[in-house]
Amino acid sequence: MRLPRLALAAVSAFALLGGTALAQDKTFNIWWFEGADSAQGITWTKALEELKAAHPDVTVNFEQKTFDQLQQSGSMILNSAEAPDILEYNKGNATAGLVASQGLLTNLDDAYTAMGWDKILNEGQLVLSRYNELGVYGSGPIWGISTYGEYVSAFYNIDAFEKAGVKVPTTLEELTAAFDTFKAQGVTPLALGGASTSGQHLLASLAYTKADDTWVQNYQGLKAPLDGAPYLYAAQTLTDWLAKGYITKDSTGMNDDDASLQFTSGKSPVYVSGTWNLGNFSANIKDFKWGQFVIPTPKYSVGSTGNLWIIPKGSKNPELAKEFISLLLSEKYQTEQANNGGVSFAADAAKVTNPVGANASAVFAEIAAKQGLGFYPDWPVPGYYDVLNQKDTGLLQGTLTPEQFVDEIKKVYDDAQASQ
Amino acid sequence: MATESISVGRHRRGYYLYLIPGFVGLFLIVIGPQIANFVLSFTAWKGVGTPRWVGMQNYQRLLTDDQFWGSMHNTLLYMISMTAVPVLIGLVLASLLFDYVRDQFSERLSSFFRAAFYLPQILPLTVAGVLWGWILSPVGVANALLGMVGLGAYTQNWIGDATYALPAVSLVIVWVQVGYCLVVFMAGLSRIDPALYEAAQLDGAGWWQRLVSITVPMLAPEIFVVCLTTLIAALKVFAPIFVLTQGGPDDATLAPSYLTYFHFFTTQRVGYAAAVSTVQMILTLGLAVIFLLFQQRQAERGV
Amino acid sequence: MAEATVFASSPAKSVTVHAHQTRSPMRWVVLALLLALLVFTLFPFFLALLNAFKPGPDYVRGGPLSIPSYLQFDSIAKFWRDADYSRKLFNSTLISVCVSVLAVGISLFNAYALGIGRVRGSTVILAILLLGTMVPQESIIYPIYWMAKTLGLYDTQLSVIIVTAVLHSAFGTYLLSSVMSTFPREILEAAEIDGATRWQILTKVVIPIMTPTLMVLGTFFFIWTWNEFLIPVVMLVSNNNQTVAVAMGLTRGQNMSDPTLQAAAGLLGILPTVIFFLIFQRTLTRGVVAGAVK
Repeated sequence: MRLPRLALAAVSAFALLGGTALAQDKTFNIWWFEGADSAQGITWTKALEELKAAHPDVTVNFEQKTFDQLQQSGSMILNSAEAPDILEYNKGNATAGLVASQGLLTNLDDAYTAMGWDKILNEGQLVLSRYNELGVYGSGPIWGISTYGEYVSAFYNIDAFEKAGVKVPTTLEELTAAFDTFKAQGVTPLALGGASTSGQHLLASLAYTKADDTWVQNYQGLKAPLDGAPYLYAAQTLTDWLAKGYITKDSTGMNDDDASLQFTSGKSPVYVSGTWNLGNFSANIKDFKWGQFVIPTPKYSVGSTGNLWIIPKGSKNPELAKEFISLLLSEKYQTEQANNGGVSFAADAAKVTNPVGANASAVFAEIAAKQGLGFYPDWPVPGYYDVLNQKDTGLLQGTLTPEQFVDEIKKVYDDAQASQ
Repeated sequence: MATESISVGRHRRGYYLYLIPGFVGLFLIVIGPQIANFVLSFTAWKGVGTPRWVGMQNYQRLLTDDQFWGSMHNTLLYMISMTAVPVLIGLVLASLLFDYVRDQFSERLSSFFRAAFYLPQILPLTVAGVLWGWILSPVGVANALLGMVGLGAYTQNWIGDATYALPAVSLVIVWVQVGYCLVVFMAGLSRIDPALYEAAQLDGAGWWQRLVSITVPMLAPEIFVVCLTTLIAALKVFAPIFVLTQGGPDDATLAPSYLTYFHFFTTQRVGYAAAVSTVQMILTLGLAVIFLLFQQRQAERGV
Repeated sequence: MAEATVFASSPAKSVTVHAHQTRSPMRWVVLALLLALLVFTLFPFFLALLNAFKPGPDYVRGGPLSIPSYLQFDSIAKFWRDADYSRKLFNSTLISVCVSVLAVGISLFNAYALGIGRVRGSTVILAILLLGTMVPQESIIYPIYWMAKTLGLYDTQLSVIIVTAVLHSAFGTYLLSSVMSTFPREILEAAEIDGATRWQILTKVVIPIMTPTLMVLGTFFFIWTWNEFLIPVVMLVSNNNQTVAVAMGLTRGQNMSDPTLQAAAGLLGILPTVIFFLIFQRTLTRGVVAGAVK
């Protein structure tokens, strides 16, 4: 594909010689990796159409990326001339934080006030947008904006609950009682992907029920060696549930696809996972009514604001990029997103007709209102995701006792914390 | 057979010219980057920004890294599943298809089987990983089948259980590798003078005997090539682990290449990853040299 | 010039007239075993086939083994559209063919010098060239990324072609040189006596005779390149440049994957190589060696 490149270089050179960089302002490159069927994908496509209509002289180039690619070579791409004008990027120290600290992004502090985003977002929703010079979140300039939320909850089979005479639990005791009832009827209550994400999210959800503000801040901010108490509680609870038969021994080898299947095929009435399942469940569960409930917790749940829109430093069209973000934050598109089943923070509740989206946005608002977003357990340390998966598996298989589990994850955490 | 070159003296030098494209490529793509990698192994770097010199620190870490030693230990096991088993199966199968099936049935049936057994090689490993994941999951096909034939007691958590994970991954590896060995061996078989087989048959030698006394010695060049390449592949094995177990459960299936990938791209500890891959490279090199010397000595003894 | 008829393929064909072994009943046992092995080998493909046409609700209800209540082509159509699959097919084919040709060429040149020219230090040179097979790709990717960026070759298919061809040519050199070292001297000497230059010997004598082996090598290279993952994922950024293997990643989102879509993607991903393989299957029956002089 050399020839088009040479041609493009020639045209650019010519344009530059002409004194203006006209050729380049006329294109707007945008990437994201949310699926085309997801609430975000649909909403963003519509918003992009409106942007196109508002600027007929600009060629808008959209590329659907894969999560894999950006996760793996994101920083390499941002460090090159191939980066687009705006793209979706994974939030967190290891991803957005890293590239922010390397000066690869455009600072959005001014845009925040100038474009009126400060009227829509509060500080709580900006926590993951700020990164300091070391690439650690929570403080520093605003480097990206998130336009949706996500959280982990328990999906449950409404019909199965009714049939068994179980009410939606509001405390952990009620939750275990509900599991007991199901077990007595010969049903495995909880589907779990022990080898994968839902495993560590359940663990974290349980751990967060014992977490206070200091713990969460220290944990996520890598500020001190790990206080293992919440995790010890979670690990003990999990092994307890395993012993009581609330989770199957098979869980260790199951990934989220298998666990989700266990739920959707009606075998288990409860599945703990994130809002990313909403699209699949809405489209494909036809056999029973389903809903979500938050895992009973004093304050913290696993969840966060969604992925960030970032503007690379070398973006040729930062103004259009900011305009796009404004569109997404506008009531019109936040409502649109909720109506597509997504988790919005600024939708007009009266105009949201999709029950899934309405409910999800409401739950998110509830958690956010009490500042209960505990973020994800694998964030503090790059690569922690794999560590947690592995140790989780060991715990469920019985090769690690709860104490050993905590020791192992503490070792990796403390290592990273010390070598900052 | 005369061993002198057909061209003498100064003519020989002209052949060096033909090595130029290969060597230029080698330096640019292999040697240069390897040296860069070696230098990187003495730094701490996150992939962007400037690397920080740390001397031997990465190598010192390596010595006490359980994951690293575990992966080395697993490599020995992977050598079995990537080399020994596929080569043996490949030999037997090749001989079976070429000698027995072609004779007892038809050439076409033999070709059909060969094509079918090669198909796993064509499948992108990412796809194979998903498909085998469905089969090996605890609620998957493998256990379902065991249940159906009454062997329900043997159902296991194939990928999730640390005891069975490595054998399970090895099974997938063998499934993929046999095709390559089979095809190379069958191609080699067609150059063996059939008169040798006829003579053996007349002498009353059965299929197995023919395999052992004629096929194996005559196929020596192919066997060497396949053994060396699969051995090197075993040291570099990455894709099956990446798609099936991500090194787990609890590092049971971890291999050096996956460990380096993990540190290169996930934890972004590029300097450390460079150190691990340098060690991996040296080991591979050592093994290959030993193997090549062995092959050369065999060749000198007369093939 | 000597003719190449000495190096016939499948020499066994001409002599099957003789002793067929007596068709023993054992053969049915062997056939049964082979068929069992076949089922084991092809089962995953069957799974892909089964699930590619399965409707979503069927999958969430019954899992991978369930029989679809009806067949739908939506997954395949969706994947084709989302991945811009025709473009990816074109890219993969282009890259694989280029790599094949380039790698065979480099291997041929190297092997010519080593196997036939028998230059001094052949063993050492071969060992050095073999380094290309040993290098783990992860260890060279960062330096290659930097090199490509500096040369303006980042996000070009040319970079992928060059890197992959060089890496594959290491194996090719090893294979070809060991084959070429058994090349019959008489033919080469005859050509020399006829006054042929090295180049002419290569093109007029060696290549025609080695063609079957070169085709086998080329087929291997095509298939290996088609399934290459790491280098294309890192080096190819724009969707327009990407290959089929990269497109597979589309079925795996950040937190979950779409199984029926994965099956559809898998099916679409192997169809081209299967077709290619079936077409070139014949070449794999030819000898990998230049043949023995009868």
